[in-house]
Amino acid sequence: MTPSKTKELALKIEDVSIAFGGLKAVDDLSFAIERHEIFGLIGPNGAGKTTIFNCITQFYKADSGRIHFVNAKGKETNLMDLNVHEIIDEGIVRTFQNVELIRELSIMDNVLIGAHHVMKQPLLGQLFNRKAIRQDEADSREKAEKILAFLDIAHLKDLIAGSQPYGVQKKVEIARTLMSDPELIILDEPAAGLNDTETKELALRIKQIRETYQTTILLVEHDMRLVMDICDHICAISFGKRIAVGTPKEIQSNPEVQKAYLGEEGELE
Amino acid sequence: MKKIMKHPYSQFILLGLVLLTLPYLAEAGAIRNSTVTVIGTTIIYTIAALGLNVLLGFSGLISLGTAGFMGLAAYISAYVTETMALPFELAVLAAIVIPTLLGILVGILSLKFEGIYLGIATLVVAEIFREIFINVTSFTGGATGALAGRPELFGTFRLDRIQTYYLIVVVMVLIFILIHNLTKGHLGRALNAMRGSEAAAQAMGVNIFKYRLIAFGIATVLASVSGVLYVHYVGLSYPTTWNLMLSLDFLAIIVVGGFRSIFGTFIGSFIIFAMSELFLKPIPALANITPLVKGILIIIFILYYPNGLANIKHQVSHWLARRKGKRDAFGQTKTEKKNLTRAEVRENDTV
Ligand SMILES: Nc1ncnc2c1ncn2[C@@H]1O[C@H](COP(=O)(O)OP(=O)(O)O)[C@@H](O)[C@H]1O
Ligand SMILES: [Mg+2]
Repeated sequence: MTPSKTKELALKIEDVSIAFGGLKAVDDLSFAIERHEIFGLIGPNGAGKTTIFNCITQFYKADSGRIHFVNAKGKETNLMDLNVHEIIDEGIVRTFQNVELIRELSIMDNVLIGAHHVMKQPLLGQLFNRKAIRQDEADSREKAEKILAFLDIAHLKDLIAGSQPYGVQKKVEIARTLMSDPELIILDEPAAGLNDTETKELALRIKQIRETYQTTILLVEHDMRLVMDICDHICAISFGKRIAVGTPKEIQSNPEVQKAYLGEEGELE
Repeated sequence: MKKIMKHPYSQFILLGLVLLTLPYLAEAGAIRNSTVTVIGTTIIYTIAALGLNVLLGFSGLISLGTAGFMGLAAYISAYVTETMALPFELAVLAAIVIPTLLGILVGILSLKFEGIYLGIATLVVAEIFREIFINVTSFTGGATGALAGRPELFGTFRLDRIQTYYLIVVVMVLIFILIHNLTKGHLGRALNAMRGSEAAAQAMGVNIFKYRLIAFGIATVLASVSGVLYVHYVGLSYPTTWNLMLSLDFLAIIVVGGFRSIFGTFIGSFIIFAMSELFLKPIPALANITPLVKGILIIIFILYYPNGLANIKHQVSHWLARRKGKRDAFGQTKTEKKNLTRAEVRENDTV
């Protein structure tokens, strides 16, 4: 990792390992992400990228290692102490490689789920639909509409999420993350399944998200042009092991990375 | 005016008002007295089925124990009012709190058992209840059943049959409004998320454990209310009433009426319960095929109308719109398309 003076640490992964049966999916992996940067994680299929995301967000409990998050206020949290549903309270939110939406709900309702942890709605208040609850709902809807407008899908808000084209569904998932007031957004293959135009728009949006919502972004992506274009730093892994960390330039010219990608679709150009 | 009528509350109240007129119609000779009783019981079943709809429709959790919990509440209320001679209000409280606590315990089970195994686990719980209903005769009266009087409010007003019917209608409308409030917003979204994608729900901060317990809690409260109303309306409770067949009827009500639909639950209850009581059972030749008719209905709905009756009206309007569109030379395809997708959205209304 290139040292920089003014930047603060946001996420630190140290010697994390996890095995499934005999298979070491993540093997002594370490990397660190600075606040407000766009950090790319690359590697061939099955390298363990999604698995490390699952370890960070506590869908999996790592066998060993440390995963620390430092929030904007400077408070450091050991994520491994948390339950999976508590991760979002720290300001960490993720998308999924295979879009995970509530198919039967409208786009609006899907986005509103992103505000679940922000909304403080006691059960009794909801039962009697009290004024504070109605206000909270109205405010959240307004916020959601702004986010949907930012992603150019505000006009689709009342439509069923499951019947939308893939590109729209991926946007809904991103909208849902923005709804949660995130500090760190983790994107698992955000460009997968998108066409060229959509991928270009995505690159722009990710950069805009960082500026507008003041977030740090960690992403896994196979589209090398996208990764090289938007990332500040990249970590390349293979068979769960780190093979290189650096700027896009450094990664592109790294012989180890070239070797790992040889014969891969996402070959470096 | 039109806007007011669009509000779900108004629709629930309107349904309530219509139901309140039935005893007058019976008095005027327009319908039979027994019809009012059947409708009253239908409403009672609607309440329990609505609880199951919150559990299954919203949360995706199956239960085959609804009848068991309903029965438990019925026996408790009968016991507290008759044997212990305590006030009706106290009986209602006990008959709701005790089964609900047990229901929440089953919610904890649901973390261990998924899908069909949860169905079996809840069935086992209901069968244990049934063993208690049959064998603990000091509490339930065993095979002879337990008797209960009509509700006595505040220790002074003893309701008659028709007033009890009114009480049932009022309780139904209140429950419709409260469940609408609960399911249309924050809680409803969390339950939907839990059903639609457990991973997404967890990533968004939904505590699966907590919401499963809430879902089971709501389902048992409604089953209990239903059981209390039943025993004080019908006047007695037999162990044979609270069997698997009844739990399956609740399931059928939801399948036919529509997942996540309050009105659908009422319509489903009417079809599954009232139709057979009113139209099939009086005709000796048809009385025995009631289960067959229910079975066929379930198959038809699962195969052709998976969203239940609550949404058929949208399909009919699609169809009408499409026919109209064909006749239009310049085919308003665009607005039609819009209508179509809008209508799809409405399929998820909890109304
Ligand atoms: N829950 C699991 N059980 C067993 N094996 C798993 C599990 N999750 C991931 N793996 C294995 O770990 C390896 C890394 O997978 P993954 O992290 O999904 O790769 P990718 O880098 O393509 O995202 C693969 O060999 C995969 O089969
Ligand atoms: Mg992956």
